Amino acid sequence: MARVEFRNIRKEFVDDNKGTFTAVAGSDFVINDKEFVVFVGPSGCGKTTSLRMIAGLERQTSGDIIIGDRVVNNLHPKDRDIAMVFQDYALYPHMTIRENLSFGLKNLKKPKAYIEQKVSQAASILGLESMIDRKPRELSGGQRQRVAVGRAIVRDPQVFLFDEPLSNLDAKLRVQMRVELSELHKRLEATIVYVTHDQVEAMTLGERIVVMNNGIIQQIASPTELYAKPQNMFVAGFIGSPPMNFIDVQKEGNLLHTEGGIFTIPDSMAGALSHYDNRHLILGIRPEHITGEDMPATTNLDYKYVAKIQVVEHLGSENLVYFRVGNRTVTAKVHPETTGYPGMDKTFIFNFDKVHFFDPETEQRIDW
Amino acid sequence: MKSKSKVIMLIVASVILIVWSVLTIIPMYWMLIGSVQDTKSAASFIPKMIPDVLSVAPYERFFGKTNVMRWLFNSLLVSSILTVTNVFLASLAGYAFAKLKFPGNKAVFWILLSTMMIPAQVTLIPLYILMIDVFDLGNTYTAILLPGIVSVGNIFLMKQYMSSLPTSLIHAARIDACGEFGIFWKVILPMAKPGLAVLAIFTFVASWNDFFWPFLVTNSTEMRTIQVGLASFVYADTTDFGALMAGATVAALPMMILFFSLQRYFLQGITIGAVKG
Amino acid sequence: MQTAPAQTRPSRPPMKGYLREYGWAYLFILAPVLLFLIFTLYPVASAFLMSFQQYSIMGSEWIGADNYTRMVHDDVFWKSMRNTVIFTLGTVPVNIVITYALSFFIFQMKNKWQTFFKATMYLPAVASGVTISVVWLAIYDPTNAGLLNRFIGLFGLDPVIWLGKSSTALFSLILMNWLGSHGAGIILYLAAMGGIPKSLYEAADIDHASGWSKFWRITWPLMKPTTLYLLVTGVITSFQVFISVYLMTQGGPNFATTTIAYLIYSTAFNFYEFGLAAAQSFVLAALIIVISIIQFKYFSSDVEY
Repeated sequence: MARVEFRNIRKEFVDDNKGTFTAVAGSDFVINDKEFVVFVGPSGCGKTTSLRMIAGLERQTSGDIIIGDRVVNNLHPKDRDIAMVFQDYALYPHMTIRENLSFGLKNLKKPKAYIEQKVSQAASILGLESMIDRKPRELSGGQRQRVAVGRAIVRDPQVFLFDEPLSNLDAKLRVQMRVELSELHKRLEATIVYVTHDQVEAMTLGERIVVMNNGIIQQIASPTELYAKPQNMFVAGFIGSPPMNFIDVQKEGNLLHTEGGIFTIPDSMAGALSHYDNRHLILGIRPEHITGEDMPATTNLDYKYVAKIQVVEHLGSENLVYFRVGNRTVTAKVHPETTGYPGMDKTFIFNFDKVHFFDPETEQRIDW
Repeated sequence: MKSKSKVIMLIVASVILIVWSVLTIIPMYWMLIGSVQDTKSAASFIPKMIPDVLSVAPYERFFGKTNVMRWLFNSLLVSSILTVTNVFLASLAGYAFAKLKFPGNKAVFWILLSTMMIPAQVTLIPLYILMIDVFDLGNTYTAILLPGIVSVGNIFLMKQYMSSLPTSLIHAARIDACGEFGIFWKVILPMAKPGLAVLAIFTFVASWNDFFWPFLVTNSTEMRTIQVGLASFVYADTTDFGALMAGATVAALPMMILFFSLQRYFLQGITIGAVKG
Repeated sequence: MQTAPAQTRPSRPPMKGYLREYGWAYLFILAPVLLFLIFTLYPVASAFLMSFQQYSIMGSEWIGADNYTRMVHDDVFWKSMRNTVIFTLGTVPVNIVITYALSFFIFQMKNKWQTFFKATMYLPAVASGVTISVVWLAIYDPTNAGLLNRFIGLFGLDPVIWLGKSSTALFSLILMNWLGSHGAGIILYLAAMGGIPKSLYEAADIDHASGWSKFWRITWPLMKPTTLYLLVTGVITSFQVFISVYLMTQGGPNFATTTIAYLIYSTAFNFYEFGLAAAQSFVLAALIIVISIIQFKYFSSDVEY
């Protein structure tokens, strides 16, 4: 029963120069047993601090942390029944792989036979048998990564903690390790808390994702929901690549006015936007939901916008087309055969079934 | 054109360097060569830069007139103990200052560091009274050792060095159920070996060469270190040139041998903890 | 969803929690802190009190600022200050120029030769102050057996009583310092020189900069941290010069080589005037601290650490 719960967790650091700095401002969440949860956000958002507090490497300023059915506030890392994989692997350079894997179990005074069995089991899961008596420096980055994971596995913990474990690997290896980690999760049936700044990693690995910014949890949701219903402009802009476009619009009656265009509000949205009469709104639309007029589209063709193309980037499978709406640059991810060149006046179709609205003051989502 | 001026530069540089090297080495050469030349009457004797006859008589006289074996033993004992205590305590404290969080970390460190500005002469007299009159430790190893057990300079060096070690290993060890001292002993020390080696060598040489404090707190010939003993010999017998040079050689040779066998540590170790700019 | 665990946060006595959290760290620094209290803080405080006392093992007597008054009216004290300043000015800047020049030349050499010269220049540093003093005592021998007298004899000059004459004694101590080890400084300079990106010189070459201006505009400014470091440590060391004075001249002749450090020693251990010696030592400390602070200001304003 390894759920992980934060109850109103705050973490403040005292910095000599900047005074008190709030790394985590009142976090509340529950991670369920056997769940794979990813913490994602820009650097300094409090995600790693949160992970370290679960591990017991940092102590929260206030609030309770619960692992399984125990409040672990006063427990040392070793007593929390967790294991952690570090960004730089943190393998002991002077120990062989075998010693690295068995170090924790030895410290816990486990029987020798038990340790040997655990180590060889982990080594075989991760394919490390042939290098078990080498030192970490003789291993490649990917192999070290596996050893780091192996060190966590031998502990049989209730909760695995991963701190940006793939960020030091090259792109190709990262994809491969991502798949391996996914499989490992199924095999181990353990709770995994995983921290990354890479939203692709978060989306592909996480069953649920916790998006953080400035020490505050922005949204906790499944990848699909995060993409389809971002709670606020930060999440909307953070999840998805290229990021969601934001366009300033003014609502007048059932029309949305923007610089150089007018859209009729679909009936389905009219109710939700009724409070915003004669007010300013932010319309969010993902690049993949803007198409060129010359391409066949299944969407309502009424939502047109004519703009002068600024730049076209050819990515092979698609083109990224940049144009301006008001003072904001808008990106469209269009079919590679869409015509378009810089300076061309082009008609774009906005897929209005997929647009989002945000309150400009609170930056929160307006559900429709 | 360019290469020609470069060649001239290289020649000038080589000549200057060779001349200066000779100037640097001459006193040491003079010492060695002076210690193996001898005549019966010291007064009329003029040692040669390149001797025709070598002799061990100066050494025989120096060893005969002094307690040098005991002095060497004392120096070896004192230097070894101080090396062990300094390496252990300085790395332990340096690690704590560099990597552990505790209230007062920076304040304590800066207070310790600022004492490096206080010249030894200030503390010398009270320290002398404390050791001799209060603790009654005059003429003992304890008195020679105590004030030098761990130097602030060494703590500073070790803090600098430990700061460069990755913190994640400490975290990993904590999760691996390693106790705080275990982390230092089993994880940090093995990683810090190059730094410890440098610290050990410099501490050993400095302790071996230290003169003033052992000189103040010892008064019997049995308790002198080699440096104090040699100085006392200079005061007692300034005319026997050969024996003086033999004594100087005996005091310096162990460190020179150490230097030539561990040159790499000497030459690279200086930069640890010093200016980075 | 299950209900929250029915457990409250275990309450710990604050002191115990404090020790549990930081106890190890305090234990790790315990020895240095204790040593600091006993062997630095106590002696400094004690010396400070002593400087206002007529010290005696039987019982000291408060005499206010008398020790300080005596000190400033003592010609020997001022002479020792003068000697210390001359010695410092005569050694530290000259040594830095020598060290820098040698480093610059060594830097032109191939790696193998760099190591060779570094080692050669470093060698005297492993010999003790006592050894060096004994050897130079022989070099400065006033008869024509002395190495230096033999050397100047090659030019037809008469033997000089180097250490026995007021006019040459202090200079002799300075000269021997010039020919000492420059190894540590050279290693630091070479490390700094090696750290200068080649692209800086290439850019200067493109701008047709002369060798001289490359030196003044690129090399020298980048050497500043090292130079300042050598300056600070050099000044602190030379203000405390003792062994060579003690072994070679005993401060003479006629106090020509009495440095402040030697004066303190001799006041304390030849005349057993502990109070006066303490007062003198505080003047030395004040000087060193003021000079260090001035240098530290340079460090923090000019140098990126």
